[in-house]
Amino acid sequence: MANYYGNNSLSRIHKLQLLSLLPVSIAAVFNVGYQYLTALALNPGNGTDDFRSSLVRGLGASHQDPGFYDLLVAGLAHMVPILLVALIAGGVWERIIAEQRKRPFEPGYIVIALLFTLLLPGAAPLSHVVFGMSFAILVGKGVFGGEGKTFLSPALLGIAIVQISFPSAANFHPLWNGLAGYSGSEAIALYHRGGEAALASADINLWSAFIGITPGPMGTTSVFAIALGAGVLLFSRIIAWRLLLAQVIGLVVTATLFNILGSGSGASAMSANWHLLLGSFAFGAVYLACDPVASSCTNPGRWIQGFFIGALVVLIRVANPTHPDAVIVVILLASILAPLIDYAVISVNIHARARRHV
Amino acid sequence: MGLKPESTPQATTNTLSELDLNEPRSVSRVAILGRDYRGINFELLCEEGDRVTAGSVLMRDARRPEIVFTSPGAGSVARIERGLRRRLVSLQIDLNETVGITRYTAPETQEQSSLRAFMLESGAWTALRTRPFGNIPNPDGEPAAIFITAMESEPLAPAALPIINSFAAEFRAGVNALAGISAATLYVCHSKGNSLPVDESVNLRCVPFSEGHSAGLPGVHINALCPIGFGGGEVWHIGFQDVISLGHLLLHGTAWLERVISIAGAAVKGPGMFRVPQGASISDLLDAGSYQGPVRVVSGSALRGQAATGGEAYLGAGHDQITVLPETVTDTPENSGATTGVLIPNDALEDLAPPGIFPVPLMRALQVGDVDRARDLGALELVEEDLALLSYACLSKSDYGLLLRNVLNQLEGAG
Repeated sequence: MANYYGNNSLSRIHKLQLLSLLPVSIAAVFNVGYQYLTALALNPGNGTDDFRSSLVRGLGASHQDPGFYDLLVAGLAHMVPILLVALIAGGVWERIIAEQRKRPFEPGYIVIALLFTLLLPGAAPLSHVVFGMSFAILVGKGVFGGEGKTFLSPALLGIAIVQISFPSAANFHPLWNGLAGYSGSEAIALYHRGGEAALASADINLWSAFIGITPGPMGTTSVFAIALGAGVLLFSRIIAWRLLLAQVIGLVVTATLFNILGSGSGASAMSANWHLLLGSFAFGAVYLACDPVASSCTNPGRWIQGFFIGALVVLIRVANPTHPDAVIVVILLASILAPLIDYAVISVNIHARARRHV
Repeated sequence: MGLKPESTPQATTNTLSELDLNEPRSVSRVAILGRDYRGINFELLCEEGDRVTAGSVLMRDARRPEIVFTSPGAGSVARIERGLRRRLVSLQIDLNETVGITRYTAPETQEQSSLRAFMLESGAWTALRTRPFGNIPNPDGEPAAIFITAMESEPLAPAALPIINSFAAEFRAGVNALAGISAATLYVCHSKGNSLPVDESVNLRCVPFSEGHSAGLPGVHINALCPIGFGGGEVWHIGFQDVISLGHLLLHGTAWLERVISIAGAAVKGPGMFRVPQGASISDLLDAGSYQGPVRVVSGSALRGQAATGGEAYLGAGHDQITVLPETVTDTPENSGATTGVLIPNDALEDLAPPGIFPVPLMRALQVGDVDRARDLGALELVEEDLALLSYACLSKSDYGLLLRNVLNQLEGAG
């Protein structure tokens, strides 16, 4: 038996995951550059003592009428240091774990580092990056025995611990503008306060939110780029389409119910397309919730878990204005519940088997 | 990977007469393989050098002496090869047609006991398999249903219908006999759109199944028609060529000593369908000029067949194809390295799993050897072949068939 094994391998999955993050990373670089330079154009004195600002200036990028080069340099100057530090922190811990536990070195931390970087604002202090990435590798992955044996997405755990540990991290760096600290974009809080008019005054419309030229954690802003990445992951069947579709259905159904039955004030009036485009929902749904190891592993479980995530994201956004985005917390909760959901689904299957007459 | 057929021998004609199959391929040696009958403690009734007629009794099950194994050909016992713990590897017979053939008298009545006695004494009984476990059924066992697998879904396998139509009378006689060995319903499972030479009745039903990967596996048919739970019952199944053989015994008094098989695969020159002796030596069938380069020869399909090497290089019982695959180095450092052993769930596994089974929980239970959990998740419904696609697709490179058999052995021992 088993004459043949397929050509599937972990490294193939890693390569496809990196490929799927490529459009997101490109969109992130240009949006970070755009956000930084436009903020600087409005207030040239803001954030200039930061080493990244010095880097931008030193490489000759200008906020006056910024072109392709200016955007690229300003974006890379913010993203590359964070990514490098995350890679180094992750790599060092991987090496230590590999040697201490006599396990082979797992290159999967590269994907985790990129995911974690894309979940951070461009102005995140590097010490926070080291802290979050260390937590992600050690607690998210190492203690469970490595890749494939985790029960939460390590990058998700990393951003969650940073959110909890540094609730008031934002300083005067322009890339914190429009963000509620590490919790993500403030756009939904804006909507809470003033509806679509408030979004419009912050230059957020459906189109800019879709393309991703709005403030937010680096990788989460461009829903268009995330959709391209999702296409790669769906086509290569690394993520389960049922889980992704169920999240969207849960979000749309719950948002629509609030639109019809809700009070009409705050985010209860926010339509489903805004819920899809604002905040980190798209990124979280594709790259965190659909982590193949950390999500439900039965098809009925995937439908349940996905619907749960979509519905709960809307519920928290509407009911709790102090927690404007909710995506990270909800996905964390859903990942923790995934084994329970599977347990229930499997119990039904076992009971059906027990009722057979043979 | 050799799974994509370069030229498929699936026959489009209605009967074999249109295919040039009149001249059977001749071989000098045939064999009975021990691995085809798991759980049997063979008691030999012949010795090396004995002259044996085709159809004469060579061995029996030491635990159930009514179950006998008859010779696939006339000649002399050339070699009785044993492996670890003196397990029978193969009993090889050098063919010599002049030795003759043993005749069996068909029962005069269609009574259950006489039909069973006929099948047992002629050796036809050994083609039946139970589910759960995949054993030869007990002579006095009572199945909840009997399944005839009258279709093929394996890559490069010959289509069933032309073979059945070529031996329509034998097939019909075999089906009618099987309907008589038990009060349970007999299901003849065939491809959609085929009409078989079978007369349906209350407890004899023809059931069409859609084509598709795994659609020809008895496990799929059983799950659809008489799924196995925890009640301790069993169903039986048998392949269509063995039904033809049973019919041949009933109509002509002698066993059908041939099988219609395909010889195919990416490395074979001139693939096609052939009539070959039952248990034929594969090295006789494949001479040096019939394949290219270093090859791996498999009795059965590329996915579910068994390696044909050494003393086991013979056409296996129930197999209707020989697959010749180019030998490739699959254990690249990337695969054999650290990353093995990890099960990454994805929903593609769901499509490759046997129906009604949640693959990832079952695969995890099998990996850690959790017998009770595997049973709850449906291990009793399965044998090795049902999990071949999961072994293929899972990047842990686990042989789930082997892991399943370990679990089944423990479940069987626990009784």
